[in-house]
Amino acid sequence: MAISNSAEWNELYNRFYCKLEVYTMCWPSVDISKHVIACAKFGGPIATVRDSGKLLLLAAESTRPKVNIYSASGLALASFPWDKGKIVRMGWTDSEVLMCILEGGDIYQYSIHGTEAAKPFSLWHQVSEQVVEDCCFWGHSVVIRSSTHQLYMIPDLRDPSTVQLASPGLEDPPHSMAIIEPQFTVSGNLEVLLAVGTSVVVVDEETAQDQKLELGPLTRMAVSPNGNFLACFTFDGKLRVLSTDFTKNLSEVDLHTDTPPAQLVWCGTDSVLLYWAEEGELVMVGPYGDTIRYSYDEPLVLVPECDGVRLLSNSLMEILQRVPDSVVSIFGVGSTDPAALLFEAMEHFEKRSAKADENIRAIGPADLPAAVDACIDAAGHEFDVPQQKALLRAAAYGRAFCAKFPRDRFQEVCKVLRVLNAVRHYETGVPLTLQQFRLLTAPVLIARLVNANRHLLALEVSDWLGLSKEAVLRHWACAKIETSGDVAEEAILETIVSKLRTSATMSYAQIADTAHKMGRTQLAAMLLDYEPKAAEQVPLLIRMGEDERALAKAVDSGDTDLVYLAIFHLQKHVPEKELFRMIQAKPLARDLFVSWTRQNDPDALKKYFFTTGNPAAAAEVLVKESYQAALERSGRGSALTTPRIKILEQAIELYSQNKEYAFHAKMADEAAKLLKAQQELEISTRQDVFVDSSVSDSIRTCIAMGNHKAAQKLRVDFKVPDKRFYWLKIKALAHARDWDALDKFARERKPPVSYAAFAEACIEQGVNSEAIKYIGKITDLQARAEAFARIGMVNEAAEAATQAKDGELLNRLRSTFTSNTSAAAIIDTFRDKLSLPG
Amino acid sequence: MAQLPNLDNASINLGAYRDHARKELVDALDSMRGKKVLVLDPKLSGPLALIVQIALLKEHGVENLYHLTPEPIHTDCKNVMYLVRPRPGLMKLIAGHVRHDNREKLQRQYAVYFMPRKTIACEKVLEDAGIFADVTLGEFPLDLLPFDEDVLSLELDAAYKELLVDGDRSCLYDVAKALWRLQAVFGTIPNVKGKGRAASHVADLMARMRREQPLPQIPPEIDTMVLIDRQVDMITPMCSQLTYEGLLDEFIHISNGSVEVDPTVMGQAANPKKIKIPLNSTDKLYRELRDLNFGVVGNILRQKATAMREDYKDLPQNQSVSQLKDFVKRLNILPEMTRHTNLAQHLTTFTTNPAFLSRLNIEQSMLEVRPEAPSEYIEEMIDKQEPLPSVLRLLCLLSLTCGGLPRKQFDFLRREILQSYGFEYTFTLNNLEKAGLLRRQDGRNTYPAVRRALKLVVEGQDDSNPTDISYTFSGYAPLSIRLIQQALQDRWKSMDELLRSLPGPHFEKTQALDADGTPVEHEAQSISVDRPDGQRSLVLVVFLGGVTSAEISALRFLSGQENSKHEFLAATTKLVTGTSLLQTLIDDDWRLRNNK
Repeated sequence: MAISNSAEWNELYNRFYCKLEVYTMCWPSVDISKHVIACAKFGGPIATVRDSGKLLLLAAESTRPKVNIYSASGLALASFPWDKGKIVRMGWTDSEVLMCILEGGDIYQYSIHGTEAAKPFSLWHQVSEQVVEDCCFWGHSVVIRSSTHQLYMIPDLRDPSTVQLASPGLEDPPHSMAIIEPQFTVSGNLEVLLAVGTSVVVVDEETAQDQKLELGPLTRMAVSPNGNFLACFTFDGKLRVLSTDFTKNLSEVDLHTDTPPAQLVWCGTDSVLLYWAEEGELVMVGPYGDTIRYSYDEPLVLVPECDGVRLLSNSLMEILQRVPDSVVSIFGVGSTDPAALLFEAMEHFEKRSAKADENIRAIGPADLPAAVDACIDAAGHEFDVPQQKALLRAAAYGRAFCAKFPRDRFQEVCKVLRVLNAVRHYETGVPLTLQQFRLLTAPVLIARLVNANRHLLALEVSDWLGLSKEAVLRHWACAKIETSGDVAEEAILETIVSKLRTSATMSYAQIADTAHKMGRTQLAAMLLDYEPKAAEQVPLLIRMGEDERALAKAVDSGDTDLVYLAIFHLQKHVPEKELFRMIQAKPLARDLFVSWTRQNDPDALKKYFFTTGNPAAAAEVLVKESYQAALERSGRGSALTTPRIKILEQAIELYSQNKEYAFHAKMADEAAKLLKAQQELEISTRQDVFVDSSVSDSIRTCIAMGNHKAAQKLRVDFKVPDKRFYWLKIKALAHARDWDALDKFARERKPPVSYAAFAEACIEQGVNSEAIKYIGKITDLQARAEAFARIGMVNEAAEAATQAKDGELLNRLRSTFTSNTSAAAIIDTFRDKLSLPG
Repeated sequence: MAQLPNLDNASINLGAYRDHARKELVDALDSMRGKKVLVLDPKLSGPLALIVQIALLKEHGVENLYHLTPEPIHTDCKNVMYLVRPRPGLMKLIAGHVRHDNREKLQRQYAVYFMPRKTIACEKVLEDAGIFADVTLGEFPLDLLPFDEDVLSLELDAAYKELLVDGDRSCLYDVAKALWRLQAVFGTIPNVKGKGRAASHVADLMARMRREQPLPQIPPEIDTMVLIDRQVDMITPMCSQLTYEGLLDEFIHISNGSVEVDPTVMGQAANPKKIKIPLNSTDKLYRELRDLNFGVVGNILRQKATAMREDYKDLPQNQSVSQLKDFVKRLNILPEMTRHTNLAQHLTTFTTNPAFLSRLNIEQSMLEVRPEAPSEYIEEMIDKQEPLPSVLRLLCLLSLTCGGLPRKQFDFLRREILQSYGFEYTFTLNNLEKAGLLRRQDGRNTYPAVRRALKLVVEGQDDSNPTDISYTFSGYAPLSIRLIQQALQDRWKSMDELLRSLPGPHFEKTQALDADGTPVEHEAQSISVDRPDGQRSLVLVVFLGGVTSAEISALRFLSGQENSKHEFLAATTKLVTGTSLLQTLIDDDWRLRNNK
């Protein structure tokens, strides 16, 4: 049957609709009225299970219920007995997984082959008094209405979790329920529409809002495929169409019956279908209230698609859709559209009639491209192959007279038609329209074919459309392994590799994983060697228990993340000694282990160093621990020094085992000694300011306290060099502003440091008058000049610089004093002196 | 003042690169529906400011921004998104937050986004903390951040330390991945040269990635990539940079392309709130000054000011509109003039300090390996307890140029440091030793030979009219850049022996496809990219472990030379100064963990 047969069209206001029979169902007598039926969108499979609420003739079927899965053409795909409880509803996810929603809230998922696709999921985690009353499906999700009128959503069945929506606060069940899918709402969240009283309550996760309408009760509701309109059937037999934001009332048609239709669905976005099962009446209502009536003596299931509705009856699969404009323009009764003329021209041409030329001339060059395009478009929509060919011939004929016509347009439609015709064949049974195919996209169609184990067709489609064949081949290889029975591993490997070798970037990990799951470990290992990506190899090797190889591959890859993956796995699953042995041989693994444990598990690190004979490294961990202890205590105090010293002593012993670490041993020893000394100082001075300061700091603190004896003791005990001691004492005295003591100290003996040190300490304290005392004593003339300059004594500075014969220094002094003109003048005089020798 | 660097003049389309990063961030934000708060790894807020402005975050539902600290987040918002570096320590903080919220019965949604990728170590911490199920994890694959039209950085703070001290090569994987992504956009770079262990690891990783995931075949825009391991040249960062930008970085720390100074520096009223000044080539005057030796910056500013005054004087009374327009245009540079005069003035207070000058002298004598008492100078710095990073920087330079310190001196100085600053700095010294920055003398000192062969020390340079990159350090030419100069003259082969005396292997390869289209690497035969006549070849220099601004200036100087055949693009793990580099070795993990 062809869309282009205008005798079969029905007119609805100004547009045409046609009903197309696509399949005679090849299933053996199924009475769909006695079954719960679920048809997947985009011409997908059909699932049936006996409706336990309906009477059945004993003889008709076995009493034991079964779930049957068929293709859209009625070919049996799978069947399994059902004993898990009452199914309220079944639905298909976007990836063609069958969901069975049970009254008790359990959800089972099955593949189209009847195997469990996921673990059963329970809506309510504990026993609940509520039961499932109704539900709506979309995408990979479902929303369920319970007997207590609460709504529960499972946002993604692939990773199920329950989200309860806002309570609609109902006491009686709603008259009907519909959903607006998240992609169509302003908020981006699912909205559930419940017909309550005369109005509609809109429920989402946060709120339940009564729309305060006075239309109802609304006994049936349906949301249009674009989410913009809501069709509802009122208690008094009217069909109303509203905008989904409830601001506009778009149409109202009286259907003169108060029996609510069994089904109410949208056909495209501009007409609505109502089906009364008892009467066998199917009514289509258009936007202006026009109707078309069809009568059926068989029960029907209406399956809404994006561009029409599929009608499933016991014996037929039909498509009811609007006749595309291009088809109307060509085949409409009495059409004089250029496209119609072109099609006629082609017919004349084939009859070798000169009228062909007349027609082409009648179209004229301006309208010809559009006419060609219309023929191509009409061919795309056509189901009838001879008619497709005729339309394409007309297009090709017209194109010959066009100066320029995009080549790809023609090719693309031809390519797609070939694919569509192939999948529409009843053995595959996917009755896709062109529009549906475009929306579904080729990769998804290929995935569906693969999922149905139609690998060869999928491969041909991929090839034909120029898409990557990897996913198809991979799935095929997995299926091959799963069904290989007792074929020898080498033979399977050979079969698989010979087919897959063509693709350089082919990933083998998933195939190897399948082999592993099927218990073919050796095959898995062999396949894994073909895997180019380490990121795929390592996790699988770990799952296969090939620990050492996993670690080796991870290290080879240079990806530290994979190395960590392997290490963490080993830490959990192999004895420590074994782990240490494995990582010891691999520097990258070893370094990462050390780096990780240093921050997160110091005990494991110590153990590692002890086990692998590295006492110095273990000692370092201990020293760190002793400082760790210091940081963990609150405030400064001496209470904890003893355990810290103990830890340090252990470290010293470990360091001493290796001569190379003599310095470290000594330093650890001094650290321990310092802690002891500081603790004693804190006790004797009753001030907790010593612990954890350095030797130098401690000396300065002692001097500042006036405790010179203690300072002297530290100096001797820690063999502090004279120079440093001088610096410390000078700074401490200056800081304490004890100028007399500083002066005395300077005279004690010839200091081992320059007098500049004394001057500097005074200047730092801002006491230039004290500084002058020492600046004069600085023997190094440059240093003296700089010191003078620092306290702004330009003359003296310049003089010293001149004595030093340092012109560069003078220049520098000049630039420091640029803003001070008198100072600059002074320096200039000295500069002149210097440049004139003698 | 958030201002994104202007990338319009970049030699490759970095603007599109940044736009793409921005889109990925928006996608990440949008993955969490509704209003949310964004909790940022404090280390990331600077880098993020280089690609997005706050307004964009607000547009995508971010109500508030927080820094990730141990403090729980106080907000009414139900959605919390974390954006962090993949560091286990940060995971512990997040776990703390989640557990706190659970105790308080706050029902929140958590999303953790990792930049640039999620790691197993982080997942493990979340798992061990028992909150793995509470959070959704995602990745924000932003690696190379465009700092300017010719500078890209991954801003991995600790890369140098992780590589040299911990042996953790994670950052190299990130670099290789970043370079893979860069090549996916700008074409497979045909010539790859490298020196140093890290360079060779990155080259291996890149080759592997290219095989695992072939790059799209598009005509290459970049001719050559030179990978330089920082370890090969640690001398340069230890020296004081003397370019304008280098000194700004040394003294007032450029962070994420801007400096913060007291308002008084900029001639404004005193205020505790610092002023942020962006420093990138959008500022035309900065573009002109940044690479110059600081010694000439003052003069140039003075000349410009004088010229402007002259202009003003010469302004004819009855000038035409177009003349006036021309004049006003020149006046537009006034804010920049003020800005840089103030900054340069501020820098002078540091550069005229005698201590700085004597330090420069000491550095120079070390570079020339003159035996004049540098060790006593260091000893005195320790005696005076001067800031440790500054002491260590000089000490490392001494060790690097002397091929290590004699045992007695080595032990003496180490002991002096520990007694002066505290014994806990043992770890710092160990880190320096592990990194090879500080060591005991053994074997031959290779530095003098390298210095001679590569002419590292150049005398008699006129810094105001330089003819050689040595102007960047007033007489020292950065070793890293010398190596690049040599590599581009295709003379690495001729100096094989010399290269061997520097740490790590060196290589020159070409990336190509074999007959089956499988990616392969050949021994080098230099391939040049088809370009219109007169256009110079583009060289991407990747500094693994950090690069200083003086080195980037040296590269710019090279491309600015009249007869230059190359144009440069610098990429690095982190923009550093010697001090910031050493700081990562001083801030050992236990200190970081506790002093937050």
